[in-house]
Amino acid sequence: MKVGIPKGLLYYEYQPFFQTFFEELGAELIVSPDTNKDILDKGVKYCVDEACLPVKVFHGHVSAIKDKCDLLLIPRIMQQRQREFICPKFCGLPEMVVNSIPDMPKATMTPFYATSKEKLFDWAKITGQEITHNKARLQKAFEAAMEHQSKHKTGFDDKGSDLRVALAGHPYNIYDNYLNMNLVKKLKKLGVGVITEEHIDEDIKIKEASKLYKRPFWSFATNNYGFTSHIANNGIANGIIYISSFACGIDSVVIELIKHNIGDFPFLILKIDEHTGEAGIDTRIEAFVDMLERRSC
Amino acid sequence: MKITFPHMGNVYIAAKTLFDDLGVEYVIPPQTSKASLELGSLHSPEEMCLPFKIMIGNYIHAIENGADTVIITGSCGPCRFGEYCELQMNLLNRLGYNLDFIVIDSPGDIGLKELVTRLGKVSTGSMCNRMDKLKAVLTAVKVVNLIDEVEAKARYLAGFEANKGECKKLLNECKNKAMDCNNGKTMIEHLKKYIDKLNVVKLDHSKEPIKISIIGEIYTVIEPFSNLYIEDKLMDYGISTKRTLTPSWWVKNLVLSPTNMNQLEIKRKAKEYLPYMIGGHARECIGEAVLAHEEGFDGAIQIFPMGCMPEIVSKAILPKISKDKDFPILTLVVDEMTGEAGYVTRIEAFVDLLERRKNHVLSRC
Repeated sequence: MKVGIPKGLLYYEYQPFFQTFFEELGAELIVSPDTNKDILDKGVKYCVDEACLPVKVFHGHVSAIKDKCDLLLIPRIMQQRQREFICPKFCGLPEMVVNSIPDMPKATMTPFYATSKEKLFDWAKITGQEITHNKARLQKAFEAAMEHQSKHKTGFDDKGSDLRVALAGHPYNIYDNYLNMNLVKKLKKLGVGVITEEHIDEDIKIKEASKLYKRPFWSFATNNYGFTSHIANNGIANGIIYISSFACGIDSVVIELIKHNIGDFPFLILKIDEHTGEAGIDTRIEAFVDMLERRSC
Repeated sequence: MKITFPHMGNVYIAAKTLFDDLGVEYVIPPQTSKASLELGSLHSPEEMCLPFKIMIGNYIHAIENGADTVIITGSCGPCRFGEYCELQMNLLNRLGYNLDFIVIDSPGDIGLKELVTRLGKVSTGSMCNRMDKLKAVLTAVKVVNLIDEVEAKARYLAGFEANKGECKKLLNECKNKAMDCNNGKTMIEHLKKYIDKLNVVKLDHSKEPIKISIIGEIYTVIEPFSNLYIEDKLMDYGISTKRTLTPSWWVKNLVLSPTNMNQLEIKRKAKEYLPYMIGGHARECIGEAVLAHEEGFDGAIQIFPMGCMPEIVSKAILPKISKDKDFPILTLVVDEMTGEAGYVTRIEAFVDLLERRKNHVLSRC
């Protein structure tokens, strides 16, 4: 059995879980290559025009490996925390992909609730049926996957540089270096360190977000709002860069909330879509860093 | 305290009856127009969706007419409508308006006690006792059902009418005169009268009009300004239209949803293509498309505002339904930049296509 894993969307967060789970079940893994021009073009070709860039890129990843595997992993990630959602497009992702790309192999359709271990095991039980019916094997693979996942650490927390920016945004925009055009590398070249939300305690983020009139019902909103609010209030970084994809519904709300909250704390919004030119991004980052330098003198 | 609320189709008629009966002061914002949209898009965040912008325009117009309290419903679904209240509060505060917001949110999120306090705030200016308040609410629900019935009837019969334009005339007359009814009782009588009038409209049963189902995002299908009066346009072409998403449907859905008995039919039809609730009304959109095909409609038109997250998912699925069932579906995306000429051309082309399909010899095979 060959299982295809597209390297898009929350792959960056759940990669150890998925990979270990299928490997332990004895499947051969086909992971799509890092995002490149070809994948982006294919994604734009197949996906609905109105979707955001990361979803288009996900379509590209799927089309890159769909002919090489028997089972395609399209995680329908519904919730990461209790009483919070991700994004409607994640909940309908399998349908979007299956109905947009022709000649698809079998795809996983089961909802994925990352709220508790039991719910995750529900996902594993149903999805694992494609490979084995042996309950003990499923259980073992699941335990191993959970262990790998718990050791998984992402994020940046650079210390020692004069300037530091907080990099906010959805994980797939921050970690996909093709989409963000090597933003982190570029910042490092300019001598700027980066901190991301993973290095701020979850409780702090939730506490900050609970100061809002309405409790945010998106995990991305809680994370990014709590993170930037904490950074700005405590001066942990010199400025905030928010990397957001064009037409993202969640960001259109979150960015407004952040702007309203942080006052005149330096804040740069980088919008990316399939037409983003690298030169324009470079200029904006350089100008922002110049500004931070002058402020800190 | 002068209450106002954003426009959404015929909701203002029911709201008027409710506040009249409660004896609460209120301001109905002027009908949504280009001016409200322009005002709204001037102040709103650029990437926000169309309903947000139109609502801001409504509020500002209502404030100019003396309103100081806004009522809006909230939601906690994954769609961004639920976040409107907070952003709108911040935005109007920034613009220097001193406003009170009453957010009617689901009890699961804010707690039942908070909900009751908030609802109590609405009727603080009212002299009625509890019984009369409850009665006023029930009358308002009845009114919203009736006005939706009038509208649905007029839109459907438009395809069969013998004297062209009669249904449209009756519908507009009904809505205009409704503003003169000053309490729930006269309003109900008035609406019933128009249902009777529509029942005796002279019909030409030899006609076989094209039938189109309007599906998509709830605000843009209900608020006629935001979809550039598509239903009126189709009426002028002599086309029968049907739309499931209405304010009365929304009320019914809300009441039934805790029991999971809401819109069973739509859920069942959508199951093959989208078995889960993903927020907004994406599942309804899919279910209605399948249902429209089974009910013998000639085509469906999906409308949603630019960037609407749930409807993007349904837009990805609709072509599959269209292909599977051989059922034409047109998708129209609206935002503040939508040009009327291009929009009309697309609708006309779609209607032409449906007409030719209907007349084609093989169409009934």
